[in-house]
Amino acid sequence: MSLCKKGDVDAFEALVKKHQKAMFNIAYRMMGSYEEASDVVQDAFISAFRGIKGFKGRAKFSTWLSAIVMNLSKNRLKQLRARVHHEKYSIDNPLPMNERRAQREPASGEPSPLERLEKKDIQQKVQDCIGSLDEEFRAVLVLRDIRGFSYDEIGDVLKVPEGTVKSRLFRAREAVKDCLKMVMGDL
Amino acid sequence: MQCSDVREKLSAYIEGIVPPEEKAPIDEHLKVCERCSKSLADLKKAIAYVRNLEEVEPPPWMTQKVMARVRSETESKRGILQRIFYPLHIKLPIEAVAVIFVALMSVHLYRTMQPEMKLSKAPPGEVALRAPSVEKEEMTPADKEKPTGQFMVAEKRAKKREEYRAPARAMKPEPTAPSYDARVRYEPAAEAPPSTSRMARVGREREGISLTMDVKEITPAGREIEEALVQLGGRIIEKEHLQDRSLITAELDSQKVNDLLEKLRPIGDFKDEAWAYEPREGTVRIAIEIVETAVNP
Repeated sequence: MSLCKKGDVDAFEALVKKHQKAMFNIAYRMMGSYEEASDVVQDAFISAFRGIKGFKGRAKFSTWLSAIVMNLSKNRLKQLRARVHHEKYSIDNPLPMNERRAQREPASGEPSPLERLEKKDIQQKVQDCIGSLDEEFRAVLVLRDIRGFSYDEIGDVLKVPEGTVKSRLFRAREAVKDCLKMVMGDL
Repeated sequence: MQCSDVREKLSAYIEGIVPPEEKAPIDEHLKVCERCSKSLADLKKAIAYVRNLEEVEPPPWMTQKVMARVRSETESKRGILQRIFYPLHIKLPIEAVAVIFVALMSVHLYRTMQPEMKLSKAPPGEVALRAPSVEKEEMTPADKEKPTGQFMVAEKRAKKREEYRAPARAMKPEPTAPSYDARVRYEPAAEAPPSTSRMARVGREREGISLTMDVKEITPAGREIEEALVQLGGRIIEKEHLQDRSLITAELDSQKVNDLLEKLRPIGDFKDEAWAYEPREGTVRIAIEIVETAVNP
């Protein structure tokens, strides 16, 4: 870490290799898109390299890096949302549609129960349900249930108190449960 | 305990972080409430689905791409630093040479422009040339601003100065009015005290000899004076013709000044001959004012 702070590129490369998978999974679960997650993670590592001298070591490096990934993910989601909103009412797409519902609804040509049970399909549905959450709730769920962060760490990443983390987590889980019930039937 | 209260705590209940005093009532409620039990089971399954999500592998080029961007950033940062600091060994000498060049050009321009500026400032009327004195170099700065060795209105000088009549003039018809301020001064620059100030240096440059001559006719006299100067190797800098007088400015070897004076003596009368020129090294600037003698009626 001290080498990284001195601008040692090779040392930073080691950090990238060590943390890229965890960071990519956070970004992917937040963004729901492989390409967007790739861009976010790249930007996050570049930001980390630029700001690594400001990393005081009070938190773990992974927590600090996760906060960067989270912030960039949220910013990117806002941009995408603004773009979708703009395109939704453009001449090319005159019919407004509920994007969340579109994500939740099964594709046309109703899949059979067997197909629905396919792991990949379930995974996609779960991801879609996570994607239907507001970013604040999604972030807590991703950090806690996917990445296994402690409440303290989540508080550090999101800069919110522990009580807020707990309440958001409860709401996020409830929302995902309802969403999964809706898209999968009985759980 | 109400169902809504229980459901709010189910998330924490699953994680086992409900305070002990709340855990027992929840347990009791779940035993009797089928809906809350079902809700708990669904929540556990939902969490399991989320936790069982497979990890996604990042693209294989991720590290490479990130590090390429990092390296290009560090190189561009270094490039900026190099542009600012690295070429100092080239930049500084160039800048030093440029500063010296500008300074030399300024001095050169100042020297070449000075005589022209002096002449251009001269009043168009009746003037007489006077050389600056050494004392003038030591005048106050305000006095230094005043033109030295420049033209001065003849009437004012006449009031201030004592009349002197050259012996040669006695041979000629006397003018009706006595001529004042007819004198020659010389200012040997070599004798001037060395001074580092700019004004003092410029003052020395201005030093020279000023002559005023009475002649019968300006034009031929002027021609003869020019010839005399040329013969002695002098360089005529400027000729100025006014209504009844003419001004010749020239540079001459200091050693030949006395020869020049001898050559000029037959041409006209010096207004002031109470002087003795001591030759020195180098050239000296001579300003000869030729005045047409007024003829008695």
